Amino acid sequence: MAARLQEGAISRVQKERISLSIAADRQDTYCVAVDSKVLSSLRVPDSQIDDLLNDHHHVGLSAPDLASLQFCLKLSRHARSVCSKDIEALRACGFEDESILEAVVMTALAVYRCTLSVGLGPEPDFGSRKIASTRFVPPREGAPHGLLPDNHEAARRKGPYVSAPYLSPKTFAPFAIVQKSHGFIPNFFRAQTLRPDLLEAELEAEGRILQPEDVLTRMQKECILLAVSAANLNSYCVAVHCNLLRGLGMPPEEGDQIAVDHHQSGLSEADRALLDFAVKLGTRASEFSREDIVKLQRFGFTEEQILECEVVTALNNFANTLQMGLGIEPDFQPPLVFQENKLYLPVAARRHSESGRVRSASDPLQDRDAGLVAEAQDGKLEAFEELVRRHTQLIYRTLTAILGNQVDAQDAMQDVLLAAFKHIGGFQGRSKFSTWLVSIARNTALQRLRRRKDVESLDEGGYGEDRDFRPRQVRAWEDNPEQRYSNLETRQLIEKGILELPVKYRVVVMLRDIEQLSTDEVARQLGLSVPTVKIRLLRGRLMLREWLSPHFTTSLRRAAQ
Amino acid sequence: MITCEDFFAEFGDYLENQVSPEVRKELELHVSQCRACHVLYDSSCKTVKIVTESGSFKLPQSVSDPIIERVMTRLRTDRK
Repeated sequence: MAARLQEGAISRVQKERISLSIAADRQDTYCVAVDSKVLSSLRVPDSQIDDLLNDHHHVGLSAPDLASLQFCLKLSRHARSVCSKDIEALRACGFEDESILEAVVMTALAVYRCTLSVGLGPEPDFGSRKIASTRFVPPREGAPHGLLPDNHEAARRKGPYVSAPYLSPKTFAPFAIVQKSHGFIPNFFRAQTLRPDLLEAELEAEGRILQPEDVLTRMQKECILLAVSAANLNSYCVAVHCNLLRGLGMPPEEGDQIAVDHHQSGLSEADRALLDFAVKLGTRASEFSREDIVKLQRFGFTEEQILECEVVTALNNFANTLQMGLGIEPDFQPPLVFQENKLYLPVAARRHSESGRVRSASDPLQDRDAGLVAEAQDGKLEAFEELVRRHTQLIYRTLTAILGNQVDAQDAMQDVLLAAFKHIGGFQGRSKFSTWLVSIARNTALQRLRRRKDVESLDEGGYGEDRDFRPRQVRAWEDNPEQRYSNLETRQLIEKGILELPVKYRVVVMLRDIEQLSTDEVARQLGLSVPTVKIRLLRGRLMLREWLSPHFTTSLRRAAQ
Repeated sequence: MITCEDFFAEFGDYLENQVSPEVRKELELHVSQCRACHVLYDSSCKTVKIVTESGSFKLPQSVSDPIIERVMTRLRTDRK
């Protein structure tokens, strides 16, 4: 609200025009009545307000005002089609980055208000105004018109679109809170640092809506954000919420399933109905009615819970609009089932091709093992042997990482291979085959550790757990440390150093740096969130650096000479 | 101007080359002016490089082949 009321980079009247035009575009009579009244109070003539409601081209706006209004309407209608060219067009009209940021925030706020107004269905406070009827009808979920970008280049053009100066968590307290709750500072917030005051207000509102657990649970709220972002085809927000759900303990496949089709997920019937409600409100507002609220009440949801669901859905649409409008780059990869090549398919087609189940990881394009897996599932031992040979090193390194010694790992290999063959019939392709193999290796190794009564948990432990580590070695390393010892000596040194690491760091360092999987793959294979993997990877690397330092520092070399 | 504390908070993503151009500029400026952070960055890059290139924990084929053979023999026997 502060964004709306303040005279900022764009004037109050400009902001209210944006708000009114978007409300009219969405046929939102309540918001139209309120915004018209506000514009009247700002001494905008009634005739101009009526023109805005019918056709903004006739209002007689200046070229920059018209350009910004059209940009905001485009962002509200077809957020996915906004690209850097739109931003360049605004700059050509004389808009600076701060004005562009404000225009995007105003649009997101208008979308938030309209979503909420549909959900709440409030009686107008003032007399209603006539809105032209040939206006925007919100696109149906996954419909190709409306959701397809003007050109596919839009999705590939790099953001963020406006400058974003660095803000330190030390001096900007809200970032310290975000760091604690998310484990890192998402690009979503970094992209808005041009206006710390707006960002602070936004973070406070978000915290108040999402953090309390007394009405809907945090898990339920994250599921709403994931399902509605997925229905809006917003791969950035899908990736963020999949990760947050993983951090709350939800298995990665379950998050993927909610993104693709929550009806097939393992959620309770009531929670699936809650997501139906949110997706309809968030993406098909014109179909929303009182009956949808009654349906939720039949599942036992209270009015307070329904209100919270509506607010969370509106917040989601705010965030989705802001992300698209600012061209915010992903923090990490969206799930395999939600990558760009699939994103342009209408949801109905995606469902048809995958029968609604998360299967695309076993798609031959996604998982090179898919053909052999199918043959092995039909009982072909040669296919199974080939699969095993492909992944021998991955299995072995996973076992070594958890068991902490190579002899035990060799010993456990046989158990893993036998278990993999025994259970391969049950592999449904909900993850990559290699991920599934790692999960068998991990479980086999953990069972052995339990027998040794030497168990250290690999699970999520909150983002604060590993932040206090500080490097102590500050002597410079020589220029070419790899030439200091023979290859064999270097390898032995590294192996010794890695085996000294506590298991939770060792596993991450081995899969990321030795097996050279991406951070996302490591997270997926270990069932951890990406932020947790990043924190453990850094800690593991720094501990290893400390361990290796005495062998590679320049002072050592000088002493040796 | 960022502090060593700020540098350390961004360090993981910096090593992974996953910071925005604006943040990168700040971090590079800091590294060029702070000896301790320069050493930390330089030696961490070298650590990642030698670890990645070391080929550590490679199970020799002479060890993996007999294990796979044993398993396959058992599976074939079980089938009969």
